[in-house]
Amino acid sequence: MGQGEEIALRMVRMTKQFPGVLANDNITLELRAGEVLGLLGENGAGKTTLMNILYGLHQPDAGEIYVNGKKAEITSPRVALDLGIGMVHQQFMLVGNLTALENVILGIPPRHPPLLELDSNRARFKKLAKEYQILIDPSTPVWQLSVGDKQWLEILKQIFRDVNILVLDEPTAVLAPSQVQQLFKKIRQLTEEGGAVIFISHKLDEVLEVTDQITVLRDGHVIGTISTHEATPPKLAQMMVGRPVSSKRKPRPASETTKEVLVVEGLCCDDDRGIPALKNLSLTVHTGEIVGVAGVGGNGQKELAESIAGLRQTTKGTIRINGELLTGVIRDPSLLGYIPEERNRTGLVDSFGVEENLILKTFDTPSFTHRGILKWGAIRQAADNLIEAYDIKTPHSTIPVRHLSGGNQQRVVIARELNAGPALLVSSQPTRGLDLGAVEAVHNMLLQERSRGAAVLFISAELAEVMALSDRIVVMFKGEIMGELDAETADVSLIGELMLGHREVFAVGGGTS
Amino acid sequence: MSGRGTKSFLLSGARELLFSGARPLFAIALALLTSAGMILATDANPITAYAALLQGAVGNFVSIANTCVRATPLLLGGIGVALGLKAGLLNVGVEGQIYAGAAAATAVGLIALPVPPCVHLFLAVLAGFLGGLLWAVIPGYLRAYRGISEIVVTLMLNYVGFYFISWLVEYPGILAEKGAVFPQSPPILESAQLPVLIRGTSLHAGIILGVILALFFHLLLRYSPFGFRTRMVGENPEAARYAGVNVTRQILMVILLFGGMGGLAGTGEVLGLKLRLFDAFSGGVGYEAIAVALLANGKPLGVILSAFFFGALKAGANKMQIVTGIETSMALVVLALAVLFVIAIGFGERRLISRRRKRGKDQAAKETQAYGN
Amino acid sequence: MEISLGFISDWLAATVRCGAPLMLVGVGGVYVERTGVFNIGMEGMMLAGSLAAIAGSFFTGSTFVATICAMAAGGLLAVGHAYLTVTRRANQIISGLAINFLALGATNMLFARLFPTVKARVCLYPVLAPAWLHDIPFLGPAIFSQSVIVWIAFILPVPAAWVLYRTSWGLNIRAVGDHPHAVATAGPSVLRLKYIGVILSGLCAGLGGSALVLSELGYFAPNITAGRGFIVLAALVVGKWNPIWVAVACLLFGGADALQLRVQTFGSVIPYQFPVMFPYLLTIAALAGFVGRTVGPKTVGQPYDPEGL
Repeated sequence: MGQGEEIALRMVRMTKQFPGVLANDNITLELRAGEVLGLLGENGAGKTTLMNILYGLHQPDAGEIYVNGKKAEITSPRVALDLGIGMVHQQFMLVGNLTALENVILGIPPRHPPLLELDSNRARFKKLAKEYQILIDPSTPVWQLSVGDKQWLEILKQIFRDVNILVLDEPTAVLAPSQVQQLFKKIRQLTEEGGAVIFISHKLDEVLEVTDQITVLRDGHVIGTISTHEATPPKLAQMMVGRPVSSKRKPRPASETTKEVLVVEGLCCDDDRGIPALKNLSLTVHTGEIVGVAGVGGNGQKELAESIAGLRQTTKGTIRINGELLTGVIRDPSLLGYIPEERNRTGLVDSFGVEENLILKTFDTPSFTHRGILKWGAIRQAADNLIEAYDIKTPHSTIPVRHLSGGNQQRVVIARELNAGPALLVSSQPTRGLDLGAVEAVHNMLLQERSRGAAVLFISAELAEVMALSDRIVVMFKGEIMGELDAETADVSLIGELMLGHREVFAVGGGTS
Repeated sequence: MSGRGTKSFLLSGARELLFSGARPLFAIALALLTSAGMILATDANPITAYAALLQGAVGNFVSIANTCVRATPLLLGGIGVALGLKAGLLNVGVEGQIYAGAAAATAVGLIALPVPPCVHLFLAVLAGFLGGLLWAVIPGYLRAYRGISEIVVTLMLNYVGFYFISWLVEYPGILAEKGAVFPQSPPILESAQLPVLIRGTSLHAGIILGVILALFFHLLLRYSPFGFRTRMVGENPEAARYAGVNVTRQILMVILLFGGMGGLAGTGEVLGLKLRLFDAFSGGVGYEAIAVALLANGKPLGVILSAFFFGALKAGANKMQIVTGIETSMALVVLALAVLFVIAIGFGERRLISRRRKRGKDQAAKETQAYGN
Repeated sequence: MEISLGFISDWLAATVRCGAPLMLVGVGGVYVERTGVFNIGMEGMMLAGSLAAIAGSFFTGSTFVATICAMAAGGLLAVGHAYLTVTRRANQIISGLAINFLALGATNMLFARLFPTVKARVCLYPVLAPAWLHDIPFLGPAIFSQSVIVWIAFILPVPAAWVLYRTSWGLNIRAVGDHPHAVATAGPSVLRLKYIGVILSGLCAGLGGSALVLSELGYFAPNITAGRGFIVLAALVVGKWNPIWVAVACLLFGGADALQLRVQTFGSVIPYQFPVMFPYLLTIAALAGFVGRTVGPKTVGQPYDPEGL
C-alpha cells in the first residue's frame, strides 16, 4: 500500500452553509498520492457535501482547495475532471437507455470533434475492463445491467478518464461481500499506480479494511484523523456518534409483558432497488416492552418498519398484530402508530397546516366528519388539545407545518400517532436531526408508551439511545437479525461485533423471542 | 356551523383571495402595461382603447351580459382544471370534453321527451356532464392505473373530439340537420334550452350554474373528506398513501370530474348560447379555460374572477375595435401576456414548496440538523 | 367508388406536400424533447414562422430572406419558452400554451395590418427539377415537382439523425433528457443543452411554417397552421423520438391529412373524419403500449434543478 510523500489534495477550512444547516464547518483534510483515505461519519455528517464541493457541484462559502500543491477554484464538474478528480456518487449517474460504452464516454471531449469515435473508445473500454476484471460488454444497454454491474461501470467510467483522485461515495451499498472484496482489490490497484482514493462510508468494518487513514466527521466538523493501524471499532464508533456509548439506562417500572402484540415470522422483502432487504426475519414484541433494533443504517431497518406499517410489499413471511394478519396499510390508529424515518416526505404534508397534519389519518372518522362534511371546529379543538398536550410550539394551528422546527414537526407526528393509544408503536429514527431537549422528550415519550402497555419497536442507528431505552435489543445486519440480547446485561462490544455481522460470537441464530 | 364559524369562514375566504390574488393581479397589470405599449406603437391611444374596452365589457347591461356569456364556458371548464391542479393533474383536454359534452347534451336536447321542461333541461345538462366524463375515461384510466401522463392523451382526444363532432353534424351524421348549408344540428328543443336571464340579451343560466359549481367545488375541497384526500394527493402522494388514501382511485375520480366539468362547458354553449350544435363551435375556448384556471392559482373561487376578466377582455375587444380600430385579437395577446408574466413571476408559495421537496431526501435530514432547533 | 391510379398519384403528391412542413418541425421536436423539455408551443412558433415567411417574401421578394425571417420568428418565441421553462423552471405546458395564444393573437393583428387586402402576391420556393421530370408517373408529381423546401424537409432528418447518434454532442442531447444529473456530473452544461434544444425546435418550427405557406399556398390566413404543431407532438411519440422514424410518422400523418380532402370530394362510405382522427388515435395507442415500448425521455416536462442532486 503506497504511502506517497506528495500531497495530492488538501482541502483547508472548508465551510458550507445551507439554509438552516451548517453542513461543513471549517473542515481540513489531506490526501496523499497512493493512499486511501476513509471519510467516516453518520448520515448527515457532511461527508457528501464536502465531496460535492470538491467535485464542483457546490461552491463553498469559505476555504481553499489545493490539488497537487496548486490552488484550485473548482466551479463545476468539468473543472474537477480537468484536474483529474473523479467521483462515484451514491446514486447511479447512468443513463439507462444508452449503452455501457456510451455512458463511459459521455461528456469526454472527443479527440477529433465532433465524431464519437466509438471504435477506438470501445477498444480502450475492453482493455481497461480486462485490466480491472470488470466483465461488461460495452454494447449492453445499461438498463439491462445488474445493480452490481452498474457500480462497476461507474468505477470504470472514472478509470477511463485517468483520474488521479477518485472519490467513492458509499460504493459498497449495492455489493455483495465477495464483490466488496473485488472492489477493494481494484482500489488497491489504483493506488499502486499512484492514484489517491477517498472512501466515504458509514460502515466501520469496510473502512478499517481498505483505508490507510481515516478522517471522522460529525455534525459538519472534523472530529479527528487517525491512521487505520491505530483505529478500532469502538474508538471509531465513539468518534462518529459523539456520546460515549455507555449504557446509561433510563429508570423504568416493571411492566407486564406477557401478551404478544407484534409477531413477524420469516419476513422477506426487497428494497427500492429490487435487492432483498429483509431475509427471513422473525421478531416479536410484547405489551409493555421496548424492543430496540440496533444496527448501522441501511441494513434493512427502513424496509422492516415500512413492511410492518403495510407500506411495503413483502415477498415472503407473515406479520401479525394482535393476532390479525396484516394485509395492507393500517388505518386504525388504535392498532398501530408509525413514526416514519423521513417524516417530511412520508409522515407530513409540508404545506398543510398543523391541524390538518394532525388529522391526516383520522379525517373521515365520525368525530371529525359529520354527514360528509368536515367539522373544522371540532378538528381545531382537537388540534389545540394535542398541541398543548404534546407541547408543539406553533403560533397557530393553521400554520403550514414546513414552518415548524424539526423538533416540533416530530411532535406533530408523535401527537398524531400516539393519541389513540395504539397497541403497537413503530418508531424509526425518531430523534434524527433533533436537539438535545427534543431528543429527551422523545425518549420520555417512548417510556411513557411502554408504561401505558404499548408494544414499542424502536429502530435507531444511535446505539447509545437503543441501549438506554430498550428492554430487549436485536441487532440487524444486512436484513437479518444477528442476535438478541437483554438490554440490562448487554455488553457494548458484543453489540458492536454483531453490528458488524460477526454472528459467531453469539450463540443464537436468527433471534425469535 | 355557528355564527362565529360563518364569519371566520367568509373572512378567511376573503383573505385567501387577497393573498393569492396579489401576484396574478400584478402580472395582469404588467400585461396591460405591455399591451398599452403595443397600442401606442400602432399610433392609437391606449387610454381611449382601454376605455372602450371597459365600456364594451361593463358599460351597460348588454355589455355585462356579453361578458358573462363569454365567461361562462371559461368558468365551467376552468373549475375542472382548477380541481385537477389541486390533485396535481393538468387537464389539457377541455376542448375535447367541450365537444363531447355538447354532443351528448344535444342528443338529449333534440329528443322530445314526455317530461316537463325543467326535467328535460336537467337531463340534457346531466347528459352533457356525462359526455365530458366519458371523454375522460381513457386518460383517467391510463394516468391512474398506468401512470401515463394525462397531458398528451387528453391533447390527442381534443382532436378526436373535434372531428367526431364534425362527423356527427355533417349530413348524414346522427345529429345533422338535413339540408343545412353549414354542418349543424337541428335546433335544440325549447324545453331543453337554458333559460335566458335578461330578456333581449344572450345571457343564459349557464353563468349561474358556473358560479354555483365554483362555490360547490370550493366547499368540496375545504369541507369534505374527498376534498381533503384530493389535496393530499396533489401535495404529497407518498404521505397520502401512508395516510391510507387510495391514490389510484382518487386520481381517477378527479379526472372523471374535470372531464364532466369540461362537458358542462360545452353543454352551456349549446343549450344556452348557440342553441344548436355547430361544427367547430368551440374555437379554442377549452385552452383558454386552462389559462383561466392558472391565473386563479387553481382556486375555484378565484376562477370566477379570472373567467370574468377574460370574458370582459373578449367582450370589450369588439368595442375597442370599433372605437380605435385595434383588432379583437388584442384580447388574446393580453391574455397570453398575462399568463406569461404570471408564470415568470411565479406564485412564490409554490416555488418554495417544490424547492424544498427537491432538496428532499438526505437534505431533509440535514436541514433539520440546525443548531438550536 | 373508384380508386384510380391518378387518384393515388395525386394523393401521394399531396402526402409529400402536407408532410413536409411537419417533418421540418419534427426534427426540432426530437431535439427539444430529447433534452427533456416539452414544447407544446411549436404550434405557435410555426404560425409565427408562416406569417414571417409571407411578410419576408412579400417585402423583399427573396425566399431566402423569408426563410430567415421565419426561423427568426420561431426562434424568438423559443427563447422566451426556454427562459421560462429552463431558467425560471415554470410549467412547460402553460408556457407553451401561452406562446400559442400570443402567436395566434399577434399574427392575426399583424396580418390585418400588413396585408389589408386579402391575398398578397409572394414569391414561392422554387421548384428545382427540370420540367420533363415532372411528367414521370408517380415520382414526377410526388418528388420532382415539389419545391426545394420539400426536398430539404426530406433531407434534414438524415443529418439530424447522424448528429444525434454519431457525435458527442448528440450523445449529450440523448442523455440529458433521461438523466440530467448524469450529464452534469460528466461535465457538460445541462442548462446550455436544454436552451439549445428549445431554440432549435423554434427554428425548425419557423422553418416548417414557411414551408407551409411558401411551397404552394402562397398566402397566409388566420390560424393557418390549424393544429399541425400539435400533430408533430403525436409524431414524436409514434416515431419514438428517432429523427428518421419521426419523419416517417409525419409523412404518415400528412397522408391522413391529404386523404381527408380527397375522400371528401368523392363522397366515399368512410366519413373523412375518420382517417383524420387516425394519427391521434394511433398516438394514444402508442402511449398505452399497444405499439411496442414507448418510453420517451424520462424527464420530459420536469424542471431541472441543478441543486437537486
